[in-house]
Order: sequence, then C-alpha cells, then structure tokens
Amino acid sequence: MYGKGLVKGLGITFKHFFGKAITEQYPEEMPNLSNNFHGSFALDDEKCIACGICAKTCPNNVIEIASSKGEDKKRRLDDYNMDIGLCLFCGLCVESCPTDAINFTQDFELACYARKDTFLNLFKRTEGQDSQPSEVTEGGN
Amino acid sequence: MEKLFLNAGAGLEQWMVSGLGLSSIIANLIMVVIQVAIILTFVLLNVLYLVYLERKLSAYWQQRLGPNRVGPRGLLQTTLDVIKLISKEDIVPQAADRKVFKLASIIVFIPAVMLYAVIPFGKDMIAVDLNIGVFYFIAISSTTTIAFLMAGWGSNNKYSLIGGMRSVAQMVSYEIPLVFSILGVIMLTGSMRMSDIVAAQSDVWFIVLQPVAFLIFFIAGTAELSRAPFDLPEGEQELVAGATTEYSGMRWAIFFLAEYSNLIAMSALAVALFLGGPAGPWAPSWIWFVIKVYIMIYVFMWVRWTFPRIRIDHLMHTNWKFLLPLSLANILVTGVGIKIYQWFIQ
Repeated sequence: MYGKGLVKGLGITFKHFFGKAITEQYPEEMPNLSNNFHGSFALDDEKCIACGICAKTCPNNVIEIASSKGEDKKRRLDDYNMDIGLCLFCGLCVESCPTDAINFTQDFELACYARKDTFLNLFKRTEGQDSQPSEVTEGGN
Repeated sequence: MEKLFLNAGAGLEQWMVSGLGLSSIIANLIMVVIQVAIILTFVLLNVLYLVYLERKLSAYWQQRLGPNRVGPRGLLQTTLDVIKLISKEDIVPQAADRKVFKLASIIVFIPAVMLYAVIPFGKDMIAVDLNIGVFYFIAISSTTTIAFLMAGWGSNNKYSLIGGMRSVAQMVSYEIPLVFSILGVIMLTGSMRMSDIVAAQSDVWFIVLQPVAFLIFFIAGTAELSRAPFDLPEGEQELVAGATTEYSGMRWAIFFLAEYSNLIAMSALAVALFLGGPAGPWAPSWIWFVIKVYIMIYVFMWVRWTFPRIRIDHLMHTNWKFLLPLSLANILVTGVGIKIYQWFIQ
C-alpha cells in the first residue's frame, strides 16, 4: 500500500524515542571495554625470561630489552622500555610471548604533552642486582 | 481559571478608565499594545524553548542525550546561544545589496508575528476575530516568501540565490493544496471566522470529518515551513544554508526565530481548524490550546527526524500530481457529502 513505508519509519523512530540513549558521557562515565582491548601494556617481571622475542617480533621496533646472565647462568631482565609513540598496538608482542609475561591493560588514556612522556618503562627494579653489564636486545633484525 | 486572562484584561482596562481617568479610547489602545506585548513574549519564549525541544527530541529519536551541559538538563543552552548571537558582529557582505539584505531579516519576522492576530489562544481569546480570519492567515503567511527571495537575491551569493528561488517555488506551489485542504473545513462551517470554525467543532472535530484534508494540510504545512523532508531551500549538504547562507549573528537569529514562530502558528492553525480549537474537558481552554499545539509540534518534529529529504523533482511531483488532485477530489466529495446530508435533514 502507498505510504506503508512512511508509517513503518515513524514507528521505528517512535520506538527509539523511548529507547535508552547509547551515548557514553566519557570523562564522567568510563567506557565498558572488552577483555581483548588493546590499551597500554603491563609486564609481569616474575614471568619474563628476557628471551627478547617480543622485541624481535615488533614491527616498529618499539620494545627495547636489557638483560644479563646471572651467576646461575640464567638470563634475567634488567630493563624493559617501550616507545609507545611508535606503537601501533598490533599485539604481536603479547601474542608471541612464550610465558604470557606481557599483556594489554584497559588503560587507553595515553595522550601526553611531550614526546619524552610517550616512553614507557615496564621494568620494576628489584633488589639484589649484580653489576654485570647488560646486553641490549632490540628489534630490527 | 477559564477566564483568568480575560478578567485580568477587563480589570486592567476598567482600572485605567476609572482609576487613572483615561478616556476609553486611550485605555483601549493601551490594551492593544499590552496584548501585542503578551503575544510577542509568548512567541519568543516558546521559540527559545522550541529550539531546545527540537534538539532534545531529535536526540531522543536518535538515541542520544542531547544538550545537557548548560543548566539543569541543558535548559539554559538556548538562552546562552541567544546571548552569544546578540554579541556577535553584524556582518554584511561587501558585494551584497545592503538595503535588501538588511531589510530581508526584518521583513521575515513581521508576517511571523502578524499571524498571531487571528489565532484562538483560548475561548474568546482571539486578538482580532476577523470574519476572514483563515483568509488573513493564508494571505499573511504567503508574504514570508518575499523575505526569502529578498535574502536570496540581496546576498549576492549563488547558494543564497538558489535557496531563495527554491523556497519561492516550493512555498508558492504548496500553498495551493494547503488552501484547498482548508476549503473543506470552510465548506463545512460556512464561515472563515476562527471563532465560528472552533464553535462548529464542539460536537466532532474536523479531523474526523476531513481526515484527507488534514493529511494534505499537514504535508503542505510541512513544506510551507521548509521542514524536513521538504527542507530543500536550506539543504545543508548542497546549499550551505540556502537563503540564509550570508547571514550571521542576530540577523540569522531572526530568520531562525521566524522559522520556529511560523511552526507554532502553523500548529495553532491546525489545532483551530482540525483539532477542535482550544476546547477540552476539565482544564481551562488556554491550557488545552498549549497542549494541542505542542502535540502538533511534536508530530512535525517527529516527521522531520524520521524522513530523509526528497529530491526537488519529487517535491514538485508530490505537489502537482498527488496533493493537488487529492485536495480537489476532497472538495468534491465534501460538497457532495454536504448536499446528501442536507437532503436527509430536510
């Protein structure tokens, strides 16, 4: 019938009129993010074996790892730096980590005022460091 | 309650004659000025909140929140917008026809206010109850076209000119089915006086007797107001803002004001002609008037935020090939119906 579509359209908008607004009032109301959200990074240094696969797999050479051999001949982490300004949040580092040490967080508010603030140090310095020189692993093979 | 405003007016006039010792002619004149001031205040206040209402309702139809930052629930948003517009510089383009450009923004508002002279705000609350009230309304509302043509021509801008021309073409052609649809009502009433038309609907509203006429009136009214889906004269995507492209600040605000003022007037006319005028049970008539007008405005906005804009050739086809024959057929059917009814009565 002529005009049936018009009535149907009016019905749809009328239903929406009483529907809940989908607007998120962002600074006051934080968005509900998925578990897979690619936000900032967190490193579990207990799990990290300083293998450097994350640094090798990173397409933009964002990750820079410093590691050294301890007295027990085990490699251990000395420093873990990320240049988030270059990161494209592809998640290859998270995927490639054999021990699930590096992970995404839900923090997405990464805007900052200066270039130097984009560097992220994920290594929490623990006690009992020995003074052996660190060996730096970077990407760019 | 019913006669609140009437009694207040009569009391004030009485006080001016007996208390202040003015002659009754001067007291009458002052009363007319006061009536104009009250109607102007009514229009301006309503327009202020209609803009807010339109933004808020459109947000609800699109599942957004709408303005909610300035004041409680964003209620002060439009007030501050007006203050901003007043404080802006009055820019007249160098190449514009200055006189025509400036006059257009004033002329557009005059018919918008004049329309309210014949609108029944309540029982016995018509400022001037002309015996040709409907005719007056149509005549005045069609002069708005001149202002849009002046604005489009005076701006010396291609978008303005196209917008102005489109608005003339649209308003002039849609006026015909609009008038023909009203004719059905006038044939039933036998009078063009607003109070007669309202009184004739005391038993049954004309929307029941003239549903087709109401539909035509509504479609043609939407086109007359240049509201979506008939907002081609100011289609943002193609014409910037149509005839008002070069206007800014307060001059632009006056165009906006006239647009919403016309919306109230058109809704009020629809209420008076089809929805029983300002009459209803339990509450005073002027409250019913406001309720009915706002229901009409809601429907106008509902339509605007549901349908996309139609193409210019479809616009003309809808008018000449659909609305006009339909309105003529409606007049014929109404005429035959009246004759048959008279037969049975005798």
